[in-house]
Amino acid sequence: MKFFRRVLLAVSVASAVAGVIRFKGKGVGAIKQGGWRKVTDPKQN
Amino acid sequence: MIGIVGAGVVGSRVAETLRLFSQQQICVYDTEQIIAQRLAGRLSDGKSQISVVDRNTMKSAKVVVLCGPSPHFSIAKELLDSSVSVVSTSDDIADCLNLLTLSQLATENKATLIVGAASSPGMSGLLVRHLAESFDSIDEVHVALHGTGGPACARQHHRALSGQSIGWHDGEWLRRPAGSGRELCWFPEPVGAYDCYRGELPDPLLIKRAFPELERVTGRVTATRRDRVFSRVPMMIPPQAEGGLGGLRVEVRGMKNGARLVDVIAVAERVGQVAGVVAASTAHAFGINKIDEHGAHVLGDESMPNSWLVTQICSAGINLHSFVRA
Repeated sequence: MKFFRRVLLAVSVASAVAGVIRFKGKGVGAIKQGGWRKVTDPKQN
Repeated sequence: MIGIVGAGVVGSRVAETLRLFSQQQICVYDTEQIIAQRLAGRLSDGKSQISVVDRNTMKSAKVVVLCGPSPHFSIAKELLDSSVSVVSTSDDIADCLNLLTLSQLATENKATLIVGAASSPGMSGLLVRHLAESFDSIDEVHVALHGTGGPACARQHHRALSGQSIGWHDGEWLRRPAGSGRELCWFPEPVGAYDCYRGELPDPLLIKRAFPELERVTGRVTATRRDRVFSRVPMMIPPQAEGGLGGLRVEVRGMKNGARLVDVIAVAERVGQVAGVVAASTAHAFGINKIDEHGAHVLGDESMPNSWLVTQICSAGINLHSFVRA
């Protein structure tokens, strides 16, 4: 039972840490706005 | 005469593109003769004559495009010994490094070897050169690839996620485990955004060779969780005949008018199609004497007719997309 509680505690702590990292983490240098424009004449780009 | 070794997805696209460029004499060799005969039968008409030949006959061609699975080293050496120029589509790091060692042999035999003339590497180098022209100086290049060509390319993609990625970082080559370093990359629609991971790609090595001034070069591939988990074990499900719509994204960072600038250019197309068009355009450049430097070279190198190649590739139906900030 003690082992089971420890495993449960470890899983809960790991989930909480993973959740914080996932939702509070910041992307580094990711471009979030913009779009693609077709290059019609490669010589002029 | 232009020779094609390998009549799979990339080989077929090379033959189709050369036919589009009005190349009259094309010879094809494949270890499975029936595949080569099927390709020749499908594409031969009054405009182009495509003939199936044996491996030795390739030595009478002006240039041979190697489109089969890597390694290409032994057949490239054999052809260079016979003074035949070679365009290799190999995307294997070890094979590309071995091919580069043939530079002296190529020079001695007055032949030219183009290493990595496919989508990634190949198109990536051309796109870097294309973007670099609008900068005063460039120092970082980051390449991301999505999708695969034929079955051999799919197997290579599988291996690329399980090996060691190599990247140039502030004056030294860094080896990191492939499949690590997640980064979200946007490709042109309809491909969209994908998580990309470090991969065992030859792009950093070849791009650094073409652009010695670079301080950072990385190569990434898109992968799902399943791809990453199963990359360490052999492929259990045989790959499809051809992958779906893929993408290639090249991000270049540098200076322009004293300010830091980031520019992104990409392609959304089947990877096999891009590889075939790039290889065929390179071979066509030999055909009309646009490439006359001997030795081993990579696309994007200053000695290559890069802007002409990009124009040819676009005229063959590959669309480039530039990223524009809102």
